[in-house]
Amino acid sequence: MERVKAAFEDFGRMILFAVEAVAWAFRPPFRLDLVVTQMAFIGVGSAFIVGATGLSAGMVFALQMNFALKQFAAEGYVGGSVAFSLARELSPIFTALMITGRAGSAIASELGTMRVTEQIDAMESMAVNPIQYLVVPRIIASLLMFPVLTMVFNVIGYGGGYVMGVYVARIPVGPFIEHTREFMDPADILHGLYKALVFGLLVSVITTWRGYAASGGARGVGEGTTRAVVWSSIAVLVADYVITFIAVGT
Amino acid sequence: MIEVVDLWKSFGDNHVLKGVSLTIREGETYVVLGGSGSGKTVLMKHVIGLLRPDRGSINVGGQEISKLEGKALTEARRMFGMVFQGAALFDSMTVYENVAFPLTEKGWRERLPPEEIRRRVVEKLAVVDLGEEVLERWPSELSGGMRKRVALARALVSDPRVVLYDEPTTGLDPITTDYVDGMILNAKGKLGITSMVISHDIASAFKVADRMAVLYDGHLAAEGTPEEVRQSRDPFVQRFLSLWFQKQ
Repeated sequence: MERVKAAFEDFGRMILFAVEAVAWAFRPPFRLDLVVTQMAFIGVGSAFIVGATGLSAGMVFALQMNFALKQFAAEGYVGGSVAFSLARELSPIFTALMITGRAGSAIASELGTMRVTEQIDAMESMAVNPIQYLVVPRIIASLLMFPVLTMVFNVIGYGGGYVMGVYVARIPVGPFIEHTREFMDPADILHGLYKALVFGLLVSVITTWRGYAASGGARGVGEGTTRAVVWSSIAVLVADYVITFIAVGT
Repeated sequence: MIEVVDLWKSFGDNHVLKGVSLTIREGETYVVLGGSGSGKTVLMKHVIGLLRPDRGSINVGGQEISKLEGKALTEARRMFGMVFQGAALFDSMTVYENVAFPLTEKGWRERLPPEEIRRRVVEKLAVVDLGEEVLERWPSELSGGMRKRVALARALVSDPRVVLYDEPTTGLDPITTDYVDGMILNAKGKLGITSMVISHDIASAFKVADRMAVLYDGHLAAEGTPEEVRQSRDPFVQRFLSLWFQKQ
C-alpha cells in the first residue's frame, strides 16, 4: 500500500514538474544555443542507430510480407504494406524506443549525476533556474527531433524494403511503387508524426524527471536511469495504443 | 545581515532542525560546527532559499527569504555566493565557463560584455591564486584543492554580499586545508564579505571564525566567540571540543 501511495505521489510530482517546465519555456531568457546543442545530441547523435534500425526493419518486413503475400500471388502489395506499416506504426515506435535507449538514458544519468553532486543546487544558488536551463531545452529538442527522426526511419525503412522487394524478391518496380501510392495517404504519415510528437513529450519529461529527482549517490543515479528507460518505454507503448484506438477505433 | 529565528525542519519522521535561532553580523565570519548529520547543510540551504522551513523565519539583508518565490527569490539569491562541499563545478564546462557562469547567465539587459566577463573571471581566479593557465582546463583535470579554489572564484565573481561555505575543508590534506582557511580569511580581508561556514573541522573553525555556534540534535548547543564556545558548559560541546583539544 505504501509503495502504491509513493508511486502516485511520484507521478503527481512529475506532472507538476512538467507543468513548471512548460511555464518556464515561455519565460526569458530563451536559450536557443542550449536547444540547438540538445537537438544535435538527441537528433544527430541518434540518427545512425535510428537509420540502422529503420533499414533492418524495412528489409525484414519486406521479406516477411513477400513470404506471406506470395501465397496469394499478391507480391505487388509488398511496397504498399511496408510503407503503410512503417508510417503509421513501426517508425514512430521503433524511433522512440531507440532514442529512449540512447539519448533518454544519457539524459537521466547526466541530470541524476548533476543532482547528487549538487551541481543543480549550485545552479539554483547562482540565481539560474535549473528547470529552465536543463529541462526545457531537452523537452523542446525532443519535440522537434522525434518527428524528424521518425521521417528518417520512414525513408530508410522504405528504402530497405524497396531493395529487398525489387532486387532480392524480384518484385517488378511498377506494382511495388503503384501499390505504395494506392495504399498511402499523407494522413498516414501525419498519423505517425503526431505519435512521434507525443512520444517525444513523454520520453523527455520522464527521463528528465527521473534524473532531476535522483537521490542517494551513484546507486540512485543508476536506479533513476533504469526507471527512466523502463517507464519511457511503457509510456510509449501505452500512448501508441491509446492514439491508435482514438484514431482508428475498433 | 542574516537573522534566523526559531527555524524548524523535518523530513518525514526525521526532525533535523528544532528551533534554531542565530544572527550573523555584516562583515563577520560565522562558523556553524557540528557532527555529521547534525543538520548544518540543511540550515545553510534554508539561508539561501534552497529549502523551505516548516516553521520560523530567515531574514537576509532585510528580506524574508523563506517567503520569497519565483523572480523575487531569484533576485535575492544574487546576494549570495556558495561554495559546495564537493565544489559542485559543472563537469561539462571548462574552468572559465564555470567561473563565468553567474555572469553569462544573467538576463540580456544586465549582461556584461565578453571582455568584461573575462576580466572579472581572471581577477577572481587571482584572488584564489590561480592563473590564466587553468582557464581552459576541465574540472576532472583539477586536484581537490584546486576545485575548491575554482568554486570560491565562481562564488565571488558576481561580487556577492554573503558567501556560504559548505564543509570547505572536508577531504583535504592538512596543507590544502591550511590554504583553504587562508583563502576564506583572504576573501573576507580583501573583499569585506560576510561569510557563513558550515564545518566539522574544529581546527579550521577556530582559525577562521569571528563567532561560532555548535549545532547538536537540531538546536544550537553553544554560540559566541571562539573563546566563549570553548568555555561552554554544555556536555556535548565539551565532549565535541575536548576530543580535538586533547589531540593538540
